[in-house]
Amino acid sequence: MAINPHFHHNNAQLNEEMLLIDAAKADPGKFAPLYEKYYKQIFNYVYQRLEDKDAAFDVTGQVFLKALSNLNRYQFKGVPFASWLYRIAHNEVMQLFRTQKDKRAINADIGDLRFICEENETPFFEEYIPAIKTLIQQLAEDDLQLVELRYFEKRPFKEIADILDITEVNAKVRMYRVIEKLKKSLSKLKL
Amino acid sequence: MSSKFNINRPPISDEEINKHKNFNQLLEKFKQQSLKKAQGDESWWKNKSIRYSTIIAGITVVCVVSYLSLTNSKKQNNTKHETLITQNTNNNSLSTHKFIQPPSEKLKSNYTAYKVNNAKGAELKHSTQSKINIPKNSFVDKNGKDIIGEVIIEYKEFHDMGDIIASGIPMAYDSAGKKYKLQSAGMFDIRGSQNGEAVYIKPDKSLDVELVSTNNEQKFNQYYLDTVQKNWQYLKHDQPNLIKSSATNTKNQRLLTNSKTEKLINEIEKVIPRKMDSVGVLYKHKSEKLTKPKEPSKPVKSNADRPNFKLEGSNEEFPELAAFNNVVFEVGPENKNCSTDIQEITWSDIKITQGPVSGKNYMLNLTYLNRKEKLIVYPVLSGNDFEKATVIYTSKLEEYDRLLAKRNADEKKLIVEMEAKQAAYMAELNRKKDELENEKAKLAAKYNVVQQNELASNFNTMSTSVKATRLFNISKFGIFNSDCPHAMAQGNTVSPIFLLSQSGKPFRPELVYLIDHSSQTVYSFAQTEGFRFTYDPLKVYSLCVFAKNKMFVCNKEKYQETIDKALNKFVITPLPDQNDNLIDFKTALEL
Repeated sequence: MAINPHFHHNNAQLNEEMLLIDAAKADPGKFAPLYEKYYKQIFNYVYQRLEDKDAAFDVTGQVFLKALSNLNRYQFKGVPFASWLYRIAHNEVMQLFRTQKDKRAINADIGDLRFICEENETPFFEEYIPAIKTLIQQLAEDDLQLVELRYFEKRPFKEIADILDITEVNAKVRMYRVIEKLKKSLSKLKL
Repeated sequence: MSSKFNINRPPISDEEINKHKNFNQLLEKFKQQSLKKAQGDESWWKNKSIRYSTIIAGITVVCVVSYLSLTNSKKQNNTKHETLITQNTNNNSLSTHKFIQPPSEKLKSNYTAYKVNNAKGAELKHSTQSKINIPKNSFVDKNGKDIIGEVIIEYKEFHDMGDIIASGIPMAYDSAGKKYKLQSAGMFDIRGSQNGEAVYIKPDKSLDVELVSTNNEQKFNQYYLDTVQKNWQYLKHDQPNLIKSSATNTKNQRLLTNSKTEKLINEIEKVIPRKMDSVGVLYKHKSEKLTKPKEPSKPVKSNADRPNFKLEGSNEEFPELAAFNNVVFEVGPENKNCSTDIQEITWSDIKITQGPVSGKNYMLNLTYLNRKEKLIVYPVLSGNDFEKATVIYTSKLEEYDRLLAKRNADEKKLIVEMEAKQAAYMAELNRKKDELENEKAKLAAKYNVVQQNELASNFNTMSTSVKATRLFNISKFGIFNSDCPHAMAQGNTVSPIFLLSQSGKPFRPELVYLIDHSSQTVYSFAQTEGFRFTYDPLKVYSLCVFAKNKMFVCNKEKYQETIDKALNKFVITPLPDQNDNLIDFKTALEL
């Protein structure tokens, strides 16, 4: 599973980030380094779930505005600041889908679909793509989020748990159930 | 309705993402939002009970504040004044920062001033080879109006612990109550003015400062000294551009050579060694030309027990045998498998060639039908032939010895001749080397004077070679630094007592600096804390003390002596008045 460098920090990086957060709490103008560091990361997260890039830029702006507004409530818990930003981004995206469902999009590469099949011990053929797409589209929103985070964005469970604000064990259990569902459906695929 | 599913959607380019990145806009929105929130919060005032409670609380606060302000009026006035200064200097460091206090007036360094036409911009090259790139129309006045005409840009750099101590710039970095010390890879102070009035960098413009650095490590970040918060403000990670050698040094190092030294070096490294080589070659050539007498072959008497062969024409084929008559070739004892019948056979073909020991033995190849024999044979003589050959050999050996002695004498003569020439060249080489050393010493003295002068006249000249440049993109004037935060020293704590080296009397300093030579960091200690400091016993330190504008030093050796004895009495030596300048200060601190 790929490692997201913005999520995995060593102690020195975490300390440095903590200093930046403390400075930004005292002076919002000092939030700039964090904004610079995470803007692209958060935009990509948001855009991954939306059809419209302008909407993705708007939501990203909203994420950072919320982060800045609520920075005094942020407490350093030994994990990168990114996890907090992702959680805000997740909530913002979900908020948008509640009012504008048509903004929701699923974005994947063929490699991601192949990965799903291989993880579920099903051989992958390009002819399966329409059927796999339909399977994924029919997933419930919570399940879809797990598939996106795990299969399309290749995030480890620790990170998925942080973003969805659930425990790592819970994330694994839920993922297992989704896999079981997918496996059942994929086994029915025939050329 | 199911969501749209895109396969392999092209990603958004970094360029486009960066276009939408606008921190100032975000900050503006945040400020507006905060304002609205504050206005919205006014509705709480409509609640009666809250209103009365607030009035009572307000009156209490006013009373307390009034009391405190009366008792601390002097202190508060100072704070207000300082804030005013630092606010002004947030964009302009022309005013004095109260918390930047050089420890001694004598160490004060000067700015280098550059005139820049605002309409044209400029690329300034500092004496250290640092560059300042100023785009055109970069400056505005306090009202935001474009500056017309020339602007004075004043600039100075700080590169080592001596510069930092002398500058008085605080190197403490306080983050949420946690204290750090900054190790600097280079720092600069830049400011601008026109007719004595501060100028500012236009909001949409920025200057590039390419600061030379003696440190090429990647662990540093860029910081700006926030004179309002009295703390360093993190800007970004500092990525050094590594360079091979110092342009500054190259420039000054040119002073270490001249046409005379170049000529001498050419003679020492090329001309004389070539002459010495040619003497050797000539000797070899002459030596080879000397006639080498050929040692006559000693006749060997034949062994009746061993088979032999008489071969026609062998004397013509092998001239060394010409002196002997009736030579036969005796089969040597090394031919262990030689069959006894070899002499019985009439061989159809016999060939003889040189043997393994040239001039001593020969290879005899015998062929008959399919049978082939290969034997090592020796030329031998028998009877009268041996006696005659021995007489001839004796006379030839005498002649050989005479010729050999002559040849050896001639060769010895050649060697003496060659050695004499070599010695002459060697003497010339040593003379040239001495001459070069003298010339170099003269140039080095000149070079040192130039270096010292540069250092004295310009605080910014670097004493060590430049290894990297560090690029700062600045949008305001002030003090910028490439720094690495270090946690405060852990280890032993000592409350020092300072003793004057001459009198041995205790001395009460005003300021104390602990210089950590291992981590290249400086710790300052105030009188109010009794100068109590913590040190790491494994690191190398020295101490620098200031009082009444005078400097004292406890060098590494003396510091270590005290620490090794687990004492707290540090002997400090004053810098003589004539030596209390930055160069001597750095020398005394062994920087």
